[in-house]
Amino acid sequence: MKNSIHKIRNIGISAHIDSGKTTLTERILFFTQRIHAIHDVKGKDGVGATMDSMELEKERGITIASAATYCEWLDHKINIIDTPGHVDFTIEVERSLRVLDGAILVLCSVGGVQSQSVTVDQQMKRYKVPCIAFINKCDRSGANPFRVIDQLKEKLGHNAVAMQIPIGLEVDFEGIVDLVTLKAIYFDGPNGEDVRIEEIPQNLLDEAMNRREELIDAASMFSDELTEAVLEEKNITEDMIVSAVRIGTLTRKMTPVFIGSAYKNKGVQPLLDSVVNFLPCPSEVENTALDLDTDEAPVILSNEMNKPVVALAFKLEDGQYGQLTYIRVYQGSLSKGDTIVNVRNGKKIKVGRVVRMHAEQMEDIEIIPAGYIGALFGIDCASGDTFVHPGLNLTMSSMFVPEPVISLAIFPKDNKSQINMSKALNRFSKEDPTFRTYVDHETSETIIEGMGELHLDVYVERMRREYATDVTTGHPRVAYRETITRRAEFNYTHKKQTGGSGQYGRVAGYMEPSPDEHFVFENKVIGGKIPTQFIPSCEKGFKQSMAKGPKMEFPVTGIKVVINDGASHSVDSSEMAFIAAARGAFREGYFKASAAILEPIMKVAVETPAEFQGAVMGLLNQRRGIIVGSQDEGPFCVVEARVPLAEMFGFSTILRSSTQGKAQFTMELGAYKQVPQSIAEELAKKREQEKKNTKP
Amino acid sequence: MIKKELILQNPLRFLETETGDILLEGGFGAVLARAGVGKTAILVQLALNTILKGKKVLHISLDDPVKKLTLWYKEVFNHLTKQYESIETNSIWESILPHRFIMTFRVEGFSISKLEERLTDLIEQNIFSPQVIIIDGFNFKEDVRTSLSDLKHLAKKHSLYVWFSVKTHRHEEPGPDGIPAQILEVVDLFDLVIQLQPEGKEIHVKTLKGASADAEQCSLLLDPATMLLKDSESY
Repeated sequence: MKNSIHKIRNIGISAHIDSGKTTLTERILFFTQRIHAIHDVKGKDGVGATMDSMELEKERGITIASAATYCEWLDHKINIIDTPGHVDFTIEVERSLRVLDGAILVLCSVGGVQSQSVTVDQQMKRYKVPCIAFINKCDRSGANPFRVIDQLKEKLGHNAVAMQIPIGLEVDFEGIVDLVTLKAIYFDGPNGEDVRIEEIPQNLLDEAMNRREELIDAASMFSDELTEAVLEEKNITEDMIVSAVRIGTLTRKMTPVFIGSAYKNKGVQPLLDSVVNFLPCPSEVENTALDLDTDEAPVILSNEMNKPVVALAFKLEDGQYGQLTYIRVYQGSLSKGDTIVNVRNGKKIKVGRVVRMHAEQMEDIEIIPAGYIGALFGIDCASGDTFVHPGLNLTMSSMFVPEPVISLAIFPKDNKSQINMSKALNRFSKEDPTFRTYVDHETSETIIEGMGELHLDVYVERMRREYATDVTTGHPRVAYRETITRRAEFNYTHKKQTGGSGQYGRVAGYMEPSPDEHFVFENKVIGGKIPTQFIPSCEKGFKQSMAKGPKMEFPVTGIKVVINDGASHSVDSSEMAFIAAARGAFREGYFKASAAILEPIMKVAVETPAEFQGAVMGLLNQRRGIIVGSQDEGPFCVVEARVPLAEMFGFSTILRSSTQGKAQFTMELGAYKQVPQSIAEELAKKREQEKKNTKP
Repeated sequence: MIKKELILQNPLRFLETETGDILLEGGFGAVLARAGVGKTAILVQLALNTILKGKKVLHISLDDPVKKLTLWYKEVFNHLTKQYESIETNSIWESILPHRFIMTFRVEGFSISKLEERLTDLIEQNIFSPQVIIIDGFNFKEDVRTSLSDLKHLAKKHSLYVWFSVKTHRHEEPGPDGIPAQILEVVDLFDLVIQLQPEGKEIHVKTLKGASADAEQCSLLLDPATMLLKDSESY
């Protein structure tokens, strides 16, 4: 019975840049006979990996959008989400993790736990995704899987336990020893498809026994049966170990570690076995939705087919046949002809074609049961939308979406481009919640916002390729914010008398910094000095003022406003009057509260060979960076720093040229911090200049 | 204001000489304890205190990654400042960061010559010139006299002083004056040696070498909950 829920695995493969995720996925598809030839990411045949379907991905050799695919192994159905590794596309990774039940954390046997692995691991923790680790590239020189296991323990706090040991390393990497079955496994044939099982080579016997001991030791924490067998020195069966490790993995208290080399076709089949053995099936994972009728109380979803359907659209794609919506069903089932409701806007939708995706190709299917991932055609929605059976009012927990930190003005070259551009922007912002776009009313420029230079670059490039839109771009701009640094009082009266009924309202109180919150409004007016029906208008007035700070017109954040006094007029007071009064009060208080400009400070981690460490630190230091520390990792080292985003433009080029291309860096938003006085003055000057330019 | 108070609060100040420093240029200090008693906690407090006085500290760890050490600093700082308003302490914290530099090595990859290379790099490029170096997890097992002498030379050259942590072991008999076997050979290089001794529920801080007369009378305790120093008299 293929439909049995116990035989489904929804897994993701996530890792640092260039750890070989896509290559691994390619091999998995080959060994499960989904594809019949292997194309490498930057292979000579020029076809590119099957999963990297976007033209741009093939060209740059990185995976941008995650594609979903499915395969079968040992009678189990495995849905695989290939996730991008670059930090600018973190939202894609996060979104995939939301729909996964388990993950393979791919690590490079030379690079070990790199900065992106740390980010990915944190995300997995957030969504409580059980994972197994795969140490790839054991054939490369400098490979040391046991060092990586130590790093997993030290850096990520995983209870990592080796399930296999390598037979030879680097160029001599021949195969692996399975510590559960105590057999040596070799991979023969041109593509490693013939698995040959033999006795363990004599020279590895001792090490294998020792490591097995460690494995049983760690696993016995999760199984009484196994502990008993160990204590009574009974025969320890393979099943005992497997089931104990499985419990440890599912509860995220243990991370079994597998090794191999995807590129050399070694160790992939045992990894597939372990996906089936150790990662959870959908019914073993508890999924909750939020009930909108009861103030977002969490509701546990069940996997039963006959329950009303709850599904989540986690990814949109624009194919040649229209919009394709990737969907995961959490409860009930979704089949052709069903009517479902989009919870976000209440729209009823009739399900048309239901398909199963395999990167670019697809298969039509009749039904998506709970626990499965599939795709729908011709459904208009944004990613992250929840679909339910009519009558239900549930939403899948909202996903964490970071605020954009960088913006870029784009200009279409001609009229045709203008039309295509708006089409493209509409799509992209639906597809990717971290990508935003708006028109600046003052300059009439179209602005796009995102998570980093590469992020925006890729979208501009996609506009060119997929929408034939020729655009020129302005200089990237940092998303500055404004805030206040001390408490200030306000007492503002708004009064206007121009015939007929006038406008009157007085608002008094104070504002103070509230660094952890965006905006807090507190009403302490007593005795009805401001009638209760006008209090919301006051709040609205203050909130409106937050959008554009009086100092430099950047959005304002981190303010608490308290009103404690005011006055009204029986005839002349209105909602409008109090909104205006609140805006005036905001301006009055704001100028007294020593406003400051905040800028995004990025957490930057540079990985560089040790000989360039000094140069790298110099580079970071020149960019107003504070170096937190440097970490020696043998042949290379990691420099961690906090650097203002404004100084990071073009850093990748400079870093490459000063380290012979051997260093790489990742960055993510750390915090918003006050800019130094000199920079603030510069910004103010620039602002003046721009104003002059736009107003002839 | 708070900064001053924080400096005065430091119970280790009785160890200070008239210039306000605990050690002099080229001086070595050691914090001895068994595993898990609180060496790192003490060293981080020492570092924070020195930074508050406007000096720069290079913290070298051979055990922990940078992330863990940053956490240590943040934790100790939060404990020290919990009675103050967060807005003010935040700005002090911000001012601390540029004065601190964390460097981690692997135990087997660490050598004084490597440190010298890195240090010169930092100073020459004008990135960071420390006045104090803290070395946490230095391996005292092997013959260390030559490397320590080299380090002493280096410290004098750059006019800085160095704190070490020394892990002692229960099974080893201490030498005369209670100085444990590991540093007995090189104890002449150290100006100050303090030991953390758990006794019952408390951890006592004892000076084994180089304390002034005043210090001997005042006994210090470490609060095992926060790992912060507390004056025994005030409790």
